[in-house]
Amino acid sequence: MAVATQDTGRELRRIVRTNEEIKSVVATAFKINLMAMNAIFLAKRAGQTALGFGVLSNELRRFAMDLQKQMSQLREMTYGSVNTVTALVKQARLNRVLERARKESSGVGRSLIDEFMRTRHNLAFARNREQIAALNRRLSQMIADTAQLVELGSVLARSAKIEAAYGGAFSTSLMQVSSDFERTIGEIQRSLESLTKQQDDSL
Amino acid sequence: MKTARVIYEDGQHKWIALVRDPNRPDFLIDSNEYLVIDGDDSLLLDPGGVEVFPSVFSALSTEFDPRKINKLFASHQDPDIISSLALWLEFNPQVKCYISWLWASFVPHFGGNKETFITIPDGGMDIMIGSQRLQVIPAHYLHSSGNFHLYDPKAKILFSGDIGTALSPPGEDDLFFEDFDRHIRHAETFHRRWMGSEKAKRDWCQRVSQLDIEMMCPQHGSIYRGDQVRRFIDWFSHLEVGVVKG
Repeated sequence: MAVATQDTGRELRRIVRTNEEIKSVVATAFKINLMAMNAIFLAKRAGQTALGFGVLSNELRRFAMDLQKQMSQLREMTYGSVNTVTALVKQARLNRVLERARKESSGVGRSLIDEFMRTRHNLAFARNREQIAALNRRLSQMIADTAQLVELGSVLARSAKIEAAYGGAFSTSLMQVSSDFERTIGEIQRSLESLTKQQDDSL
Repeated sequence: MKTARVIYEDGQHKWIALVRDPNRPDFLIDSNEYLVIDGDDSLLLDPGGVEVFPSVFSALSTEFDPRKINKLFASHQDPDIISSLALWLEFNPQVKCYISWLWASFVPHFGGNKETFITIPDGGMDIMIGSQRLQVIPAHYLHSSGNFHLYDPKAKILFSGDIGTALSPPGEDDLFFEDFDRHIRHAETFHRRWMGSEKAKRDWCQRVSQLDIEMMCPQHGSIYRGDQVRRFIDWFSHLEVGVVKG
């Protein structure tokens, strides 16, 4: 039973870490949104020579907004997990107390605890564990979907870099902006890899 | 585990004290729990904290079927009094808990819902256990701001919550004691510090001195019997309370 308590404690700490990682991706996604808006203005100033860059900047802005939406769904999901894990931690503590009560009791007291644990308590514990496993599977799926979306962002950033080369007098500025995109999206990819690793450890 | 000791019995009416767990970790204060039984009906007084639940439950089940525990009385809101509530509710979700109205929205943090609590008005009330009427005696600010004791006129027992507590050293912590002067030394610092109001103390002394009490049962320490009860009330009425240093 002590193992179960440790497991639930570890699960709760993992969810807190996941949530912190998600918060950092949300902040970065917001940064990309601002960068994309600046890039759109810059492309307009560059005029005819940066038409392609302007189209890509618009796409990057859409990507940043999609990413923010995706991350807020992930965050909601982790809040749901916190509730379930909290219930599990509480049940694990009750289990520990009941196990001690069982050891100290005899006769009617012991049989009452045995019956109670068999019929209700352990079932509820198992049900909560199943719920957490299901939530973890959904979370992993969503992280995988987000990683695909970010891969698209990465392609857009690389293409923007190529387009920047055709930016004439604005080429250096456009190159700077597209390199910033690439670096920032790289940060998100690393965060998602870390999230994926955390999920793999929990499954 | 704790020991269940019958401290009063007359036909179907019984008081059981659940006391003294030799395996209690020393970082937890010891507590006495009391079970009042009348026929099939029962009331568990200050059921205790989560950590003492195993020893309370096991001791209680040697004398009484725990499934029949359907009423709890919490003298006040402290964790050593009622944090085991959720566990008693696991065994009987219909359990009712009597507590001061003041704590009705605080104690649910330990468990229970709106239906679990029967709130006691400031002036007290009567609680029927089987055919016996028990009286809830106000003891506000002694030490909690919403605090009650319980008097059983048939058994002539007063459950006095924290009043009467003595933090006696090992070897002097029997369920009953003989030497009042020796015992009361272990009660003095506790009462000076924990009992916060002179006025509340005087009111309580006046109130309980009108009751016919054979035994005064505190939540911690030994039980007072016979003349020891009168001596305690007299001692307490003269004690300066609400001071940090004794």
